[in-house]
Amino acid sequence: MNDYTYPSIFFSYFLFFLFLAGGLFFFFRSLRHGYFGPAAEDVKYRMLEDDEEAPRAR
Amino acid sequence: MQEKQLTTGAVSPSGAAAVSPSAHADTTAKWFLISAIGYFFIVGIIAITIAAKFVWPELLGTVAPLSYGRLRPLHVNGMLFGWLLAADMGLTFYLVPRLCGVRIWSEKLGIATAALWNVIILGAVVSLLAGWNQGLEYAELPLALDIAVVAAWIMFGFNIFATIGTRRYAQMYVSLWYIMGTILWTAFVYLTGNFAVLAATGVNQANLNWMYVHNAVGLIFTPVGLALAYYFIPKSGNIPLFSHKLSMIGFWSLAFVYVWTGAHHMLHGPISQWLQTIAIVFSVMLLIPVWTVVYNFFATMKGQWQQLRENVPLKFLMSGVVFYLLTCFQGPMHSLRSVNAIVSKTDWIPGHAHMAVLGAFSFFAVAGCYYAIPRMFNRTLYSDALANWSYWLLMIGGLGFFVTLWLGGVWQGWQWNNPAIPFIDTVVALKPVWLVRFVSGILMFAGIVAFLYNVLATVTGAAGVEKPRAAAA
Repeated sequence: MNDYTYPSIFFSYFLFFLFLAGGLFFFFRSLRHGYFGPAAEDVKYRMLEDDEEAPRAR
Repeated sequence: MQEKQLTTGAVSPSGAAAVSPSAHADTTAKWFLISAIGYFFIVGIIAITIAAKFVWPELLGTVAPLSYGRLRPLHVNGMLFGWLLAADMGLTFYLVPRLCGVRIWSEKLGIATAALWNVIILGAVVSLLAGWNQGLEYAELPLALDIAVVAAWIMFGFNIFATIGTRRYAQMYVSLWYIMGTILWTAFVYLTGNFAVLAATGVNQANLNWMYVHNAVGLIFTPVGLALAYYFIPKSGNIPLFSHKLSMIGFWSLAFVYVWTGAHHMLHGPISQWLQTIAIVFSVMLLIPVWTVVYNFFATMKGQWQQLRENVPLKFLMSGVVFYLLTCFQGPMHSLRSVNAIVSKTDWIPGHAHMAVLGAFSFFAVAGCYYAIPRMFNRTLYSDALANWSYWLLMIGGLGFFVTLWLGGVWQGWQWNNPAIPFIDTVVALKPVWLVRFVSGILMFAGIVAFLYNVLATVTGAAGVEKPRAAAA
């Protein structure tokens, strides 16, 4: 019987580092795009306007 | 000031034309939500059946498909993937196009995804009842169904990313970040927990399995649940979020911290001490993202708490936030070696897990359904009173369940730590706990029935349900 423990662990490490790299990339991109800048709060007001009014229940 | 911010936020990176909210067909969301609520009811029956088996072990005799060993994985997978993840996906299909100001990229692809998801769930019912089970916690589904889950997730992820890619507004609301995170993290967590794990053996397999189990909650249900809470709390109360910046800090700290915590399920087990310590340290660090989330929601509600008297979705949402805080306080605490030595493997753990999955994330999903379904079907909710009943039944039943299992778990743990007590005595001693668990389960199931009936009566336009927009037209 072959033991694939190490290849499977390395596969998991590979996936983990893939997502770590993606996470770091998008984190720094979000800094550049102003998510922590002076206009960072605009979006929370806009989202309140994206939906229709709900009818009231009985 | 609000007007200024609204207009500065409206930047179109794709040049896509904005769509009015009523332009959303929501067909995919309807498919996902109605089937999810149906599974919530069906799997609820399984739940009270296995709770009854704790009290009356002879119940249903020796019929193999109705044995505890077959029904328990069906309950777990049915609630996680049939109800909760399907409801989360349905609500994602509802909120993503609205937050992006565009229609869903492909409604046809969405419907195909919903159809495939239903095939997977029905396949899971057949295979798990037949005993085709991989024998790994949360990863019980046979390989063929695992592959179908991956296919469905790719279809879902592609549709959502394509929709976000055509968004009208450059700046993305925090819910979109959490949803994108969920899609990517689920890919990593599911592939590791259902495929890579099969190739590992022994302790390494156990370690991978627990990494998957913990991150199924932490990197799948947590981020998508928070996406819902970040959307539906401001929408239900018509209150702007306290701080979007703080919500982003929460998102990135969750992304960094969560993945390391799985090994705390194996404390005092045959894994390296350094790995156990890393898991403990990162588990305690979870308090950072959790507190950013909870503080943000509490601060959002400042001066608005009176809304909880009348507003049922908000009632579910804020109760869910409190349960989220409690469950994420418990988690780091029972990751400590000394606490873990008492509560690990006891009834404390299902008490804790149910508070996360039912008390926090299912409450968010139920609130989302109560908010979104009347809007999608352009009808009034059938009954606010019945919705209120569903809240109190789920709340009282849930609290009875959680608290009893925590107390019973500590009791059980103390007994297990005393070698003078025979194991069978520790089993018999828990019978009163399991009786309360069963009664609490009945209350929760009654809450599910009230929720199901209210939604079906709304959708089918039962007597008393109004169609205000049609009447106005």
